[in-house]
Order: sequence, then structure tokens, then C-alpha cells
Amino acid sequence: MNAEQIGLWAGFVFTLMIFSYILGDNVLYRLAVYVFAGLAAGYITLVTVEGVLLPWLRGTLLSPDAVGVGGQILGIVPFVLGLLLLLKGSPRLGPLGNIAIAFIVAVGTAVALVGAITGTLLPLAAATGSGVRIDLVNGFLIFIGISSTLVYFQYLARRQPGGEVRRGLVVRAIGALGQGVVVVTLGAIYAGAILTSLTIFSERIGFILARITGG
Amino acid sequence: MRRLGAVITSALVIGIGLLTVAGLVVGGDLGWLSAIVEAFRIRDISGIFLQLAAITAATTILIGILNLLAVHLRRVGRREKGWAYSLLLVISALGVIILAVLERAGVLAGEPPLTTILFESVQVSIESALAGLVLFALVYGAYRLMRRGVTWPKLLFVLALLVMLLAALPLPGPGLLASVRDWLMAVPVSAGARGILLGIALATVVTGVRVLIGLDRSYRE
Repeated sequence: MNAEQIGLWAGFVFTLMIFSYILGDNVLYRLAVYVFAGLAAGYITLVTVEGVLLPWLRGTLLSPDAVGVGGQILGIVPFVLGLLLLLKGSPRLGPLGNIAIAFIVAVGTAVALVGAITGTLLPLAAATGSGVRIDLVNGFLIFIGISSTLVYFQYLARRQPGGEVRRGLVVRAIGALGQGVVVVTLGAIYAGAILTSLTIFSERIGFILARITGG
Repeated sequence: MRRLGAVITSALVIGIGLLTVAGLVVGGDLGWLSAIVEAFRIRDISGIFLQLAAITAATTILIGILNLLAVHLRRVGRREKGWAYSLLLVISALGVIILAVLERAGVLAGEPPLTTILFESVQVSIESALAGLVLFALVYGAYRLMRRGVTWPKLLFVLALLVMLLAALPLPGPGLLASVRDWLMAVPVSAGARGILLGIALATVVTGVRVLIGLDRSYRE
């Protein structure tokens, strides 16, 4: 029996251990989950070190072509920021960690902002506009659906003379339509998730049967 | 002193954030704005910021994994409840890393490499089995939905769910359900998904602008 065959049998045993959860939480399931967490941690470490950190170090700190001291200092910066983040746990030195948080928040916010505008807002608006040109009725219905969904998610309301806070009748009516659209969307996504997990489940059953029958 | 630190943090966020946005957005056809970006090499600076953020994120992932191992080693050392599981986790994690190091050093040879076999046979098997297990949770969740009172959104949800599931069955006949499913996917589901995505994007833009102009300073806490 070679290493590949041992691997296949190990996969078979671990699949059965995970499926034992159908009978309730048990030792076998927990063993498999802890092995899974350990393997995942190991692989994430490998990918992070080999795919990100080592190339960075080779390009900066360890590179003979690094642009002077500045290039080498640049190589240390992310590690200093990482260490500063560790200081967040200390009551005295915690505020120093805010510098690293500030840097990550600033770059993350900028990327998210530009990504949201160029990756979602503009393409979706353009696609909705062109959809109306291609199929007038369905395109218009999609436009109504999108607008009512956005109205459903807004929470601006007026205070009534009695002190009660309520949205206007028109906004509530459009919001109810939006709620319907969102509910149908979630139902479809839920069905998609069921079908996907059913496909994976049947593939695993097929794998177990193939192992047992030697197919 | 604390106040000075807060001001420095806010200035960092606003400065670095705006420089990164400028480097990402401003192209070559925006007149004086493009000239400023070119003159101060803001695109290069923005690129360095992005690289530094990615490497810092990788460093934090590594710190997180070291913390995970430290927590579980402590559990093993103190013989706390479930320490055997923790030992298994640490052995699995270190096992993968040691195998990879031996392979890279040329001590372990073989095609395909052991780490690849371990990943494809064990890791992927467990992942797939866990994903398959989700089926039971999803079906049970849908079954329990109607037991806590019937409302029109719940009815609509179940109706959409049933149409989608039944239309996936290879039933004989003219395929009315499949037509309804196709229309649902093309119109209301498409509209709902776009509406939700647009809502998320709009909220991201609003929050992003608030952070970049210094109105939202929750990162200082």
C-alpha cells in the first residue's frame, strides 16, 4: 500500500468520523474536527510564509538589490506593525498598537471604498440600465425590485405628534415590496445552499461506497 | 499624552487613507489632479502602502496561529478538560509544517509530495464531509421555520425555496416549474441580490468617507 492509498483510506475514515455527528456530538467527530483545525493551521502557516513573507523578505531585507537602507527598513515595517498589534493586550503600551490599527484601517478603508465604487456600484448600475434597454418589462421589474429593496433597508422615520416614530405610508408600502423581494432572494439562496450541500453529501457517499466496494 | 496619541492616529488614518485613494483612483486624464499624483509619485506610495498592509495582515495571521498553538499547548500542559484534542491539534499543525520543511530540504522525496497527499486526501475529505453535513442543518432549519408562527414573509420564503428545489428535480412534463424558477432567478432574485449588494456598497462608501474625513474614530478605542 503506497502513500496515496493510505491517504485515501485516511480520508475515508475521517469522512465517517465527521458523518458520525448525524447521530449526535461524539468523540470521533471532535477528534476529526481538531485534526482538521490543526491541518488547516499548518497549511495556512505554510502558504503565509512561503507565498507572502519569504518573497517579501527576499525582495527587501535579504535582497542585495534593496534600495539602500530605506529599502531594508521598509522590509522591517510590517513586522514592527505586527508587533505593535501584539501590544494591544497591554493596558500601558496598548495605545502604541493603535498606530498599527490606524495603518490597516486607513489602507483597508481606501481599498474598500474604491472597490465598492468601481467594483459594485458602477457595474451594477450600468447592468441595471442596460437590462432595461434589452428587455423593457423584466428590466423595469428588476429596477423596481432593486429600488424597493434599498427602500426596505432605510430606517429614516418621522416622529408622530404622539411621540411614536413611524415611516410614511408610501415608504412602508414600497418597503413591504422590497421585503418580499429580499425574502424570495434569500429563499432562492437557501435552496441553492441545500442543493450544493446535497451534491457534496452525495459525492461523499459515493466516495465511501467506492472505498468499501473497491471501485 | 493620550490626546496627542489620538490626534496622531487620526492624522495617520486620514493621511494614509487619502493618499491610497488618490493613488488607486486618479488616472492620467484628470488635469491638475493627475499632475499632482504624478509629481509626488502618489501612485508608487499607494502601492507601497498596499504591500505593507498585505504583509502586515500576513504577519497577524502568523501571530494568530502561534497564539492558537500556545493556547492549546497550555491546555495540554495544565491537563485541562479536552487536552487530548488539543494535543492532536498541535501534532497535526506541527506535523504538516515539519513535513513541508523536510520536503523542501530534500530529506523526503516522492511524487506527489506527502504534504499534497495529506492535503488532498485528509484535509479536503474532512472539508467536504463538513460541507455535506450542512445539508442536515439547512433542511432542519427550513422544517423548523414554520413551527414558530406563520407570517407572509415566511410563506414567501418557503414558497421560493420549494419552487427552487422542486424545479431541480428531473420531472417529466412541460417544465412549468423550471420556467417559473428561471423567471424567479432572472427577475426578483436578481433584483434582490443586486439591491443587497448595492446596499452593502453604499454603506461601505458612507462608512469609508466617514473614516477618511475623521468623523468615525472607533479605531482609536
